[in-house]
Amino acid sequence: MSKIKILHMYADMLDLYGDSGNMEILKYRCGKRGIECIIDKYSIGDDMPYFPEYDLIYIGGGADLEQQHISADLLKCRQGIKKAYKSGTFLFLICGGYQLMGKYYRDADGNEIKGLGLFDYFTVAPSSRKKRCIGNIVIQTEITGKPVKVVGFENHGGQTQGVKNPLGSVLYGNGNCSKSEHEGYFEKNVIATYLHGPMLAKNPEISDYMISYCINRKSVKPIKLTKLNDKLEKDCRQVMIERLLNK
Amino acid sequence: MKRLLILLGKIIVKILNLLGRNAGNLPGIILWHLSGQKCCSMFKVDCPIIAVTGTNGKTSVTNCIAQLFEKSGKNIIINREGNNLDTGICSLLLRHCDMSGRVKADYLILETDESHVPVVYSQMKLETLVVLNFFRDQLDRNGEMETLIQKINGFCKTFDGNLILNGDDPNTARLGCANPKNKNVKYFHAEPYKFATEKIFEASEGRFCPFCSEPLEYDYYQYSHIGKFICKNCKFGDYKPYITASNIDLEKPVFTANGHKYSPKLNSIYNIYNMTAVAGVAKLYNIKPKITDSVISKYTVNNGRMETFMLGDRKATLNLAKNPVGANMTLRVMNEMNGDKELLFVLNDNVADGLDVSWIWDINFSIFERVTRVVTSGTRAYDIAVRIKCSGYDPEKITVCPDLDDAVNELARTEGRKFVIANYTAVQPTRQALKRYSENGGNDDE
Repeated sequence: MSKIKILHMYADMLDLYGDSGNMEILKYRCGKRGIECIIDKYSIGDDMPYFPEYDLIYIGGGADLEQQHISADLLKCRQGIKKAYKSGTFLFLICGGYQLMGKYYRDADGNEIKGLGLFDYFTVAPSSRKKRCIGNIVIQTEITGKPVKVVGFENHGGQTQGVKNPLGSVLYGNGNCSKSEHEGYFEKNVIATYLHGPMLAKNPEISDYMISYCINRKSVKPIKLTKLNDKLEKDCRQVMIERLLNK
Repeated sequence: MKRLLILLGKIIVKILNLLGRNAGNLPGIILWHLSGQKCCSMFKVDCPIIAVTGTNGKTSVTNCIAQLFEKSGKNIIINREGNNLDTGICSLLLRHCDMSGRVKADYLILETDESHVPVVYSQMKLETLVVLNFFRDQLDRNGEMETLIQKINGFCKTFDGNLILNGDDPNTARLGCANPKNKNVKYFHAEPYKFATEKIFEASEGRFCPFCSEPLEYDYYQYSHIGKFICKNCKFGDYKPYITASNIDLEKPVFTANGHKYSPKLNSIYNIYNMTAVAGVAKLYNIKPKITDSVISKYTVNNGRMETFMLGDRKATLNLAKNPVGANMTLRVMNEMNGDKELLFVLNDNVADGLDVSWIWDINFSIFERVTRVVTSGTRAYDIAVRIKCSGYDPEKITVCPDLDDAVNELARTEGRKFVIANYTAVQPTRQALKRYSENGGNDDE
């Protein structure tokens, strides 16, 4: 039986917009296929895990205050996370998790939170807390080899700049900056995005991209995922696409 | 200028009334624009103002406090319909003031939206502020929770009136430290009830001390992050309660506070907190115990908060759940009931609901017991269906009916006990659909 090991970091703090749902969805989709999905948690005060033993590391989003709390601890994990990433561990990063892997995050008061610097982008929040990118968002991504419309909800003050390889192009909503063309950051083993909803709720292709990556990364022969019945998820997405794009 | 605005406002109210329209908010909006955004500043209010704010329970507590004074023979003004923004309060006062803007009453009792507390009460003098709780709710409209708390905290820094705070919610209790000179800070508190837990049961806010950032330690959690907490480092949470609910027994339901035994009608722990807040106000204003007792024991609601409908011979209980805390409470009540049951969940994403529906992923559906079927409806019928499916519930047993009448017909098609959960803007349409079915027996679609 295939097995996936996930490390969910700061689940107790970075879980503002139902982001833990992503873990529930990955577990569900693995379970339906007989893939064992182990989800370990790490938070402040826990023993330092050995990061490269994980197939996927997940970090969700939180409010500014929570983000300040975890940033010092996250920096302590820098070497471990970097080693894992270099050795092929998948990084799945939402909102705050996305921001903190860049060079820095400057909050609305001008305080600079140092990021892990794994990637070149950086994030600046506007000085007015009222200026946030909030609303439904549709992006188009080609990470699976075919164009897929991904629907979620964005809610971020931070404007992320210097993204070299975005996750997708924005069809509706804001993206990395207000009214920007692109959303998120992508590498073959990195999905970093502002999409909540949670992101995987109605975008099964993205879940399966990650599951497929994880079970194949150490296997010699490519393993194909069995198809699941995703009618509810796809209908759910279609309703939103029609509402947002066909106005 | 003020007189002119008031005259104009009153004319608008008259016109709207003549047109048969509700003047709950529009006159205030117009005056807000004409008065440089200070639409509550033109009134002369000589009587004490009592305001109630917080995420959940504002309407209930405001109505109960109003009854305390009404039954004591006082003349009160209250925004009963829940128009709780500055524009709604302005519209209310326009209907009750004279031509000079003077408002005559013994007490003004105002439900006030969390984000509008500083706005309204920088324009009118507040005597007492009751803060019930802060939960994740409509985050996309209000911005992040911390911003919201900061706004009210900023107001409390210079406020020296009565501050009645939920002492078991660190998010509200912290407001008691905003103005160290304020001698009128009072906390209400509740002892653990039967289902209180040692560990946190649902997703929540405020795990850290807002003053020194150390993790907060809890003796017990009542629900969500509400419970007896303390910061071992700086002693935040170490206060003497002004009023305490004890001997809580939800099966009867009864509780004791301030030496009196109360028998409320609604049997949820958050109703006990609401009623303890009411008893706290009664204590502060020396309301006669007999009156307080009759208010607390008689209070019930007919607005989709545990309201019962008969669908033919099938009993359906409707409950409003506008955030995960409310929804989790309803699921608990549903589970604590024996036998099979079916659930209709109506989820909308209108502006007043918050456009973001991701909060449904904080609902703990894995606790479902003997739920034989689920019907979903509303503008986000599919989202809630997917959410329930991914909790491990058999998708074959889920039926999506975005149209409400279809959904109610589908729900009533089979035998058995029914539960209905609807979020904010879904409640009234759902009540109407349930009523239509009750009255027509579901035959109107044939």
